[in-house]
Amino acid sequence: MLFDRLINFFTSLKLTVACLALGMLLVFFGTLAQVDLGLYKAQNEFFRSFLIFWGPKGADWKVPVFPGGYLVGGVLLINLVAAHFKRFHLSHNKVGIWLVHFGLILLLLGQLGTDILSRESALHLREGETRNYSEAERQAELAVIDSTERELDKVVAIPQRLLMHRKEIRHAELPFTVKVKDFFANSIVDNRTAESGEPPSASQGIGPRAIVKETPRVTDMEHRDVPSAVVEIVTPTGSLGTWLVSEYIEQPQTFSYNNRSYALTLRPRRFYKPYSIQLLQFRHDVYAGTDIPKNFSSRVQLQRPETGENREVLIYMNNPLRYAGETYYQASFDQDNRGTILQVVHNPSWLTPYFSCILVGLGLVYQFATHLLGFTLKRRTA
Amino acid sequence: MVLPALLIGCGRDDVQVYKVAKEMPQRQVEGQAQAAALPAGHPEVPGAPPKLKYKLPSGWQETTPGQMRLASFHVQNSDGKQADVAVVPMPGLMGSDLENVNRWRSTVGMPAVTEGDLPKLAQPVEIGGQPGQLYEQSGENPGSGDKSRLLVAVLRREGIAWFFKMNGDDEFVAQQKPAFTDFLKSVGFAARSMRTDLPPSHPPIGDMSSLPMPTAASSATSEGKPGWQVPPGWKEIPGGQFLVAKFMIASSDNAQAAVNVSMSAGDGGGLADNINRWRGQLGLNTLSEAELDKVLSSVETSAGKATLVDVSGTDPRTSQKTRLVGAVVPQGNRTWFYKLMGNQQLVANEKDAFLKFVQTAKYPDAL
Repeated sequence: MLFDRLINFFTSLKLTVACLALGMLLVFFGTLAQVDLGLYKAQNEFFRSFLIFWGPKGADWKVPVFPGGYLVGGVLLINLVAAHFKRFHLSHNKVGIWLVHFGLILLLLGQLGTDILSRESALHLREGETRNYSEAERQAELAVIDSTERELDKVVAIPQRLLMHRKEIRHAELPFTVKVKDFFANSIVDNRTAESGEPPSASQGIGPRAIVKETPRVTDMEHRDVPSAVVEIVTPTGSLGTWLVSEYIEQPQTFSYNNRSYALTLRPRRFYKPYSIQLLQFRHDVYAGTDIPKNFSSRVQLQRPETGENREVLIYMNNPLRYAGETYYQASFDQDNRGTILQVVHNPSWLTPYFSCILVGLGLVYQFATHLLGFTLKRRTA
Repeated sequence: MVLPALLIGCGRDDVQVYKVAKEMPQRQVEGQAQAAALPAGHPEVPGAPPKLKYKLPSGWQETTPGQMRLASFHVQNSDGKQADVAVVPMPGLMGSDLENVNRWRSTVGMPAVTEGDLPKLAQPVEIGGQPGQLYEQSGENPGSGDKSRLLVAVLRREGIAWFFKMNGDDEFVAQQKPAFTDFLKSVGFAARSMRTDLPPSHPPIGDMSSLPMPTAASSATSEGKPGWQVPPGWKEIPGGQFLVAKFMIASSDNAQAAVNVSMSAGDGGGLADNINRWRGQLGLNTLSEAELDKVLSSVETSAGKATLVDVSGTDPRTSQKTRLVGAVVPQGNRTWFYKLMGNQQLVANEKDAFLKFVQTAKYPDAL
């Protein structure tokens, strides 16, 4: 009985209409919310969520007020699959409908795949510079670097998500515990003068000479947050002290423990590659006699030691470099025209929308063609 | 497909362990120092680590910059006397000069001074084409007892306090002072990287904060500048692709303000939108046209009647109290935008000169 009611609910066409209507409202309000929240926060709160929460300003409680993108999309997917299997049986005159539905299911799953698996980062290179990693623009990591060995550094990279909880972080590769005393998602670090009445931000490294202040999160697209944290290194025999780490502080701060050298640095999250890219030349061409941009291009050298690959590539507008599952787009440049910024997109499910469109297209063509054929034959017979 | 994707997706945000080759400091192109505290290539951040260009004086050796330093140099003569040079940019304009000067003086065993003494101690110096102050301290290092001298040049610009320091043997630093001032002159504040969130293949855009609202026929700066009398104390600096002109104004107490002049075809996106955009730069709310009518005034210019706005607020980028006086001058089929923005007192002092500047500007096809 209950099962039948559930089946009826999930296969109902009314549910489809309701989900589509909710989806439209979600897109509308999610777009408006970007004004106040900024793109990334609005995306997370409206589309990458099961429920949208609201609470009065200043209050520390929130109540769910609307279904989020995952809930609407998930129910729509279940509805589509359930309705399809309940209503349509595999027969030659329904092949078109099957194809259309599979195309839509693939589209929904592909978008979920993109949401979960895709990764965007940036590669900034000055002319002559070589790098083998790109950096996430809006995520930081605390890198605990064991620099004892001569050739290689061993890096334990703790993502921002774990730092935000201000907890103790233990890892098998670390002989000590990293205790996050404080984390500021956006901050400013200033010099602490000798006469300053403010307490030092931390006891070790740059900490005694610096103060850190939390600042409001950035919501517009032109700026980004600069996180800082205060961490304590606790060994089995006691604490080694506290350190202020911040994206404002360039140099890793060092300490020793058990005859090994370590360095601490908070930096944009890095994605290392098995190959390197060197910027040979950046060009910013303008139309003669004007300042109007005509072309932006980056001539880079791609080197992969393990395969011996070593070639020159020209990346320009609408002509990205696709390599090893990543796509490098010409995204921006330094104002002195001596450096380039490439957007690095890793999206394993980038092909699913193409397949979906082909399936839906084929399904529609088949369905309409068989109807048209049947109709024409009927008229002739008549 | 969903389950594996979820499993893979969840695992991406865990602690990662890997081995990498030790990072070698990459040689900066043409002596260009760039603090990587902020990711190379990241969108500009208020107070983000800036970049610097300079000409290295002979005998100076670049050394690895330490914490908080953007650039570091070592100077030594044949007698073994040496000095250390550091460039330290600090976001947030970093406290009062009195506090800083007394701290520097204490490092060479000199007594503290009062606010009234400061103007006598500040020597004017040119830093990258802009007026800065040089403070010179000499005395005995309280720790070592050695005679030492500390030169510190200060420049505050775009929300960052720049400190250029030379510290070392008293006599040697005195000898190196001309090289130090030449170095200061050679400094260039390199363009900071910008990034837009336009589609990957879209041509990047310029400094949006100074731009009128875009219009389809916007022609920006391809035409000439108006003819004008630049008031004394205004220093013209390159304004970038989208500004017709930019002027910097600095007062003796290091307060700063800037005048931006831009031009757009048509009405530049509308008066209300542009005034509200300016209000937004001071953290003020958007007003309706009816509300704007109450706060706007007008002024006669050589091109006819112009609209004037005068507002105060807090610049969200610097958290400093800031005043903005803006004039929107419609001229034929285009509109000129004049904006004086910066330290409240300085803007108050410069307002009359700014208005005269706007009123007397002669436009290219009206000449």
